[in-house]
Amino acid sequence: MSLAAHEFQFVSSLVRREASIVLEPGKEYLVEARLLPLARKAGLASVTEFLLRAQSPSGRQDRDSIVDALTTNETSWFRDREPFTAMTELVIPNVVKSRGPSRHLRVWSAASSSGQEPYTLAILLKENLPPGWTYEILGTDISTEMLARAERGRYSQLEVNRGLPAPLLVKHFTRAGAEWEVAAPIKKAVSFKRLNLAAPFPPMPAFDVVFLRNVLIYFDVETKRGVLKRIRNLLKPDGWLFLGAAETTMGIDDGFERVVTGRTSAYRPRTGTSAPVGVTGKG
Amino acid sequence: MAPTGDDLQQIAEQVWASYLDTDGAKPLIPLPPDKLSKDVVAGVAVSGAWHGLVLVACSDVASKEAAAALLGMESDDVTEGDVDDALGELANVIGGNVKSLLPEPCTLGLPEVHNNADGDPWLAGDEICRFEATWMGEPMEVSVLEKPQGGGTE
Amino acid sequence: MVIDDSRAMRLILRRIVTGLNFDVVEAGNGREAMDRLEELEAVPELALIDWNMPEMNGLEFVTAVRADKKYRGMTLMMVTTESEHGQIVRALAAGAHEYVIKPFTPDAIVDKLVMLGLIPDGAHA
Repeated sequence: MSLAAHEFQFVSSLVRREASIVLEPGKEYLVEARLLPLARKAGLASVTEFLLRAQSPSGRQDRDSIVDALTTNETSWFRDREPFTAMTELVIPNVVKSRGPSRHLRVWSAASSSGQEPYTLAILLKENLPPGWTYEILGTDISTEMLARAERGRYSQLEVNRGLPAPLLVKHFTRAGAEWEVAAPIKKAVSFKRLNLAAPFPPMPAFDVVFLRNVLIYFDVETKRGVLKRIRNLLKPDGWLFLGAAETTMGIDDGFERVVTGRTSAYRPRTGTSAPVGVTGKG
Repeated sequence: MAPTGDDLQQIAEQVWASYLDTDGAKPLIPLPPDKLSKDVVAGVAVSGAWHGLVLVACSDVASKEAAAALLGMESDDVTEGDVDDALGELANVIGGNVKSLLPEPCTLGLPEVHNNADGDPWLAGDEICRFEATWMGEPMEVSVLEKPQGGGTE
Repeated sequence: MVIDDSRAMRLILRRIVTGLNFDVVEAGNGREAMDRLEELEAVPELALIDWNMPEMNGLEFVTAVRADKKYRGMTLMMVTTESEHGQIVRALAAGAHEYVIKPFTPDAIVDKLVMLGLIPDGAHA
């Protein structure tokens, strides 16, 4: 069973239109793997049948779930450790030193998916910020279904098994039936909001740290440039941006400088280039 | 707090995703099977604040396929001992997860596997929930039986 | 070292850790595991330990191993279907370093071993 060219075409133009995400040819396997569970859930025998239904005038809901399925990243707590190590070893000490009087940290998880990343950041800050500091975390995603899941903060046994150290599981989660639920103090620090990274952002106060991991890879260069510029404008001058391991600002937005830390990189706004809206960097 | 059919479904789906359907090619389909059959029944006893059994029942064919998938062998080579090991472990894993939905404290017994369960006194009790599914075209069922307090859960 | 009374589970765990270049010693319960430890020349780096086993259960094994200085270098990871919050707390308090709830995917074991520093990140394909 493999996806026909016209089927792939339908899906890639759908997600491009709805989420500005580019699915290059060659991603057929990804489309198929993500849509197969949807087809099964709908009680249909194949992805082909599911796509036929989604293309019908009454297929709005199916089309939404296709966009959701293809814009969602698998996330697993501390699994991709490097950025979190950089947070504890570099970012927190730095901010604590430089931001003496305000004692508050604002962090944005810009593709929060099912919520593991913002909750992981909340756990990390709770464990590592000195006493007297407060923090807030904003999680945003394009998928309303994912936002609802994230807000619920409940995870299956399989999900909490992936990359969440057991001591942190018992400290910051409670059992909720067959699932685990993020404990109230962590939940309280995290809020969620729908946001399309590819469109202009609503007004928001500036952030100390932005996590934007494994999102840029889906966008074309123009969209990437726009996203990075908008984020740079929302980042405090001494703020930090973390990207996915395979992503970089280099060659796309030279308003960032790269700081190598451990086995990963963080990006900081280049001093003197907090570009005002409407002014693009060279290149 | 008592487990429901939905809980059993969620637990079973996780067990399948972990051990029996790791690549998504052999999904556990949450539809009742065409024919019912309980050629093989594996169970673990729960005792303590609650008494009963957590059971996995399936056809002979399904039990061989499950053993083959779990042990990484061809279903033609599966022996009765393999089926006992595999089904027993499935019942154990599902049972442990069900136990977390029951009143505390409870302890889990060691798994037992019975063939041809019709009229088996071991299976006397009140069924409190059940999840019926079809796997590889064969019947597969997970259920929870409550036994009268202190009544023969070993 | 893989300690589980289920042959099926020992096989699954053996397959995973063998794939990560560990040599595997198996035991069917805690008592057997203690005996094997006495015989071995080198203390294993890692023990994957079931909870419910005949003769000596996983919690008793963890407690016994933690009481013996010779085994200080061994990382103890419970791999069990016991999934109550309180049970995990008990096992960690007894000295287990990590805890994986059954059912688990191979990735779950790999993730935890990476986080424990027992295998390098990206060592697995």
